[in-house]
Amino acid sequence: MTRINQSPDVSPEDRPVERGQLTAGVEDARILVVDDMLLMRQMIGMCLSRGGFRNLAYAENGEEALQIIAESPPDLLVLDLKMPKLDGYEVCRALRANPATAALPILVQSASETPEERVEVFAAGATDFVSKPINQPELLARARMHLENRFLIKRLSSFHERMHAELSIARGMQHSLLPEPDGLESIEAETGTRIEAAYQASFELGGDLWGCWTLPGNRLGLFVLDISGHGVTAALNTFRVHATMARFGGRVRTDPAQFLTELNAALKPHFPLGMFATMFYAVLNHGTGKLTYAGAGAPRPMIVGSGGLRFLDSSGLPVGILTSPSYENRTEQLAAGESLFCYSDVLIEAPARDKSFLGEDGLADLVQDVLAEGPRETLVARLLDRFFTGRERVLPDDLTAVAVHRVKTGKA
Amino acid sequence: MEYKIETTGDAAKVVFSGDITFSENVSFRQLLKDLSAKNVKSCVFDLSKVGMVDSAGLGMFLIAREQAENGGWKLSVTGAQGHVASMLKLTKLSDLLQS
Repeated sequence: MTRINQSPDVSPEDRPVERGQLTAGVEDARILVVDDMLLMRQMIGMCLSRGGFRNLAYAENGEEALQIIAESPPDLLVLDLKMPKLDGYEVCRALRANPATAALPILVQSASETPEERVEVFAAGATDFVSKPINQPELLARARMHLENRFLIKRLSSFHERMHAELSIARGMQHSLLPEPDGLESIEAETGTRIEAAYQASFELGGDLWGCWTLPGNRLGLFVLDISGHGVTAALNTFRVHATMARFGGRVRTDPAQFLTELNAALKPHFPLGMFATMFYAVLNHGTGKLTYAGAGAPRPMIVGSGGLRFLDSSGLPVGILTSPSYENRTEQLAAGESLFCYSDVLIEAPARDKSFLGEDGLADLVQDVLAEGPRETLVARLLDRFFTGRERVLPDDLTAVAVHRVKTGKA
Repeated sequence: MEYKIETTGDAAKVVFSGDITFSENVSFRQLLKDLSAKNVKSCVFDLSKVGMVDSAGLGMFLIAREQAENGGWKLSVTGAQGHVASMLKLTKLSDLLQS
């Protein structure tokens, strides 16, 4: 095939230089030229083929144009206004009304050119306007600009679609790091607890993770963690954290302060400056209700039950900041009939529609309201229902809420 | 988030207002550039008009702290209230950022 755009009468100035690489292939674009005068069709066609465009089609009136477009939509329409059967305005309106052609660039060319007419042309849906008699370099420059825009937008939207798909796969993979329902059921049976959890990934990726396991001596280990920031880095680091924890043996898992210390040592070298993980790790003896825990700056967990609500002191330097921070074990009693409730900061920080946020006190009030309204074992589900009343369902950050309900008639 | 830098001799004070969250990443980095161009010996972040700071915001303070250490100037924060004060206390960053 002969490439016409090699012809010497196309000056280098006519060619897009900076955007050239991005819009390679623009010459293959299909252009439909619509005019009732043969001479005009020929003239426009010649101008475009001199400019390197070789995929041209022609129509003599609006009706024929719509027919051709329905069969094989072009990338650009060069449209006359005054034509028999269906005029240019009608063609514009018909194309804009159809979702398939709503974004098709339409370059209108017309002889009579009053300001009113221009307004009407654009109102009908034209993308651009050239006046007759046609200035050929101008027509070519405008045609090329609209085709390049169309190509760039197509590329951008396909990139966007791909990223969207990738992020959704990544969210799914991140989700798979969380405890499986089957595993939870057997942990519940073994420990005489009910474990109620909710996790919602943000529209971007986030860095929340939680997990639990049984330990020798009637014990249950539970952690919640939130890697600071959003996006791919935070999400990928949840995999690093998960893999690191998987290597910890029973001795580390039964000692919360030691657990945080070891995790910090493993993660600190890999976390970029300004990134850290806030965390809470607790070991519950489900026989006696003794709770041993250590905090690394996670939002303060609550113990709730008929006796009211009390906070646990989860203060501590987040994991990943200093080479050797010190963590300390604290103890508390989780009585039968009480629940340990852990959550990520989005619950206290996410803005409501009126821009206010709950804060710790607001969340505590909400928890107590919800507890008074129904069974303790469904606290998390009912709390989130209330939380999302007055808030967008799509959150800017991951949401994690986990409760360990110690049942009254358990093994204790 | 908005901020205003006040310089007295070789000491600077940055007065923040609004929320310091993930979305302020870019303007915070600009602030750090502005600060390092001023060659100050010490800088105080005044947080008394800040309503909320999230974990990404705290991360930015840590980046500022590192820049101060590398640049040989002193960084401290002051005036934190409400949610901001509890976040600094909870994460013990108040100890790290108070010199």
